[in-house]
Amino acid sequence: MIEAKVHVRVGEFRLYAELQGEGVICLAGKNGTGKTTLLRAIAGFLPIGEGFVRLGGADVTESSVEERDVVLVTPSTCFPHLGVDSHIIWGARLKGLRPHNEYVLRVKSELGIDYGGSVGSLSRGMRQRVALATALLSSPQAILVDEAFLGLNDRETFISTYGKLAKQADVDVIFSSQDEADGKLADYLYVLNDGLTTPKQREAVS
Amino acid sequence: MNWLRLISVASLLLLLVPIFVLLYYGLGPFRDAAGFSTQVLRSIELTLFSSALAVVADFVLFTPLAYYLARGNDRITESLVDIPVSVPHPIIGVALLILDSPITPTGQFLLGLHINFYNTILGLVTALVIMSAPIYVKSMEPYFESKDPSPEEFAMGMGASRLKTLYSIVLPNSYDGLSSASLISMSRALSEFGSISIIAFYVLQFPFYGVSPASVTIYEFFSGNMSGGLNAAVSASAAMILVAIPITLAGHVVRRRAGR
Repeated sequence: MIEAKVHVRVGEFRLYAELQGEGVICLAGKNGTGKTTLLRAIAGFLPIGEGFVRLGGADVTESSVEERDVVLVTPSTCFPHLGVDSHIIWGARLKGLRPHNEYVLRVKSELGIDYGGSVGSLSRGMRQRVALATALLSSPQAILVDEAFLGLNDRETFISTYGKLAKQADVDVIFSSQDEADGKLADYLYVLNDGLTTPKQREAVS
Repeated sequence: MNWLRLISVASLLLLLVPIFVLLYYGLGPFRDAAGFSTQVLRSIELTLFSSALAVVADFVLFTPLAYYLARGNDRITESLVDIPVSVPHPIIGVALLILDSPITPTGQFLLGLHINFYNTILGLVTALVIMSAPIYVKSMEPYFESKDPSPEEFAMGMGASRLKTLYSIVLPNSYDGLSSASLISMSRALSEFGSISIIAFYVLQFPFYGVSPASVTIYEFFSGNMSGGLNAAVSASAAMILVAIPITLAGHVVRRRAGR
């Protein structure tokens, strides 16, 4: 369960946002409405002026990024010097986790990672799949996907599959999108307008 | 006519006049065998060796600082980094001398640990590290700043500390920036005179027993303390320039490639 109520100021831009939910949450809004700002605040990269961030009932507002257990994935997120297989288990190994080989193979298969080699030599979409798989296998409390689903050729299927795998691993996912229609792929839809979410605009779609 | 280009080329030539003068006279009218003697070549060898060691120390000791400055907002630390190069360089030599003097508590402590700066390779390298590290840090800092922070944030979200992120994620993808900063700071170390002329006028250790750094040797020719005089000083300067220029140019070429 993610619960966030944040007031963030970045330059002249002010964000007053509130969301809560578990499973897969879609954060929709046009460019410049504050989606990235909200995700970065939840991940701990932006200080919150007022409010809180709670994960699974625990208040992590004052926790550092490293302690928060929230992974932020963007379209340019990857470690280009690593091979695909090393990359995918990088976060899990860092945490001392040893995911079963069968599980790793299943995640790779379901996310369409049927290639190897150096991550730096892959196409952008292939890198994004690897980064998202890496985040998932590191078993964080939450994965925040900032437009990293864009550019995937099988986007809708991928989001559904990713959401299913995340639920099985008990990981909450928030993904940002410019299209409100993507709410149908999520358990919850939140719409941001000029840095503001209101209960009125918040809608549980399932 | 492109006046900006014309003025720029003219000002560049003004900067390079001393180099051209030394190369012309050192390899031409003032050419002196003493300036290319074994003694001078050993001096250049010592300078290259100690500068290379200083750059290794810069990498090990100061890469975290450059990264910290690039990703933090610590203005005070940023200003302090410039201090060693903003004071007259002999001051650093004097400071090292006092730090390691038998008449000071710090010196007694260090000498008790067999750490001796005076006329040793350690003293020479220490002075060169202090004089080249600010250049190294100021080269690496903008390089780190220019890198997309997303992979670092990704790693930190999975629990990696800043230091772990630096060594596991940032550095393996920074060979171009590291090469450039190392070559540029090595150029700075090669050119040092003020501090090393005090702390390590010559080195009294194997394999450089009695050898002075190149800049000190050139000064010794010029001041008449070594036979050869001005001609030998100019010839030795030309030899040193021929060694230093490729390193400086390589540093800038790599930096331009890193900036792409």
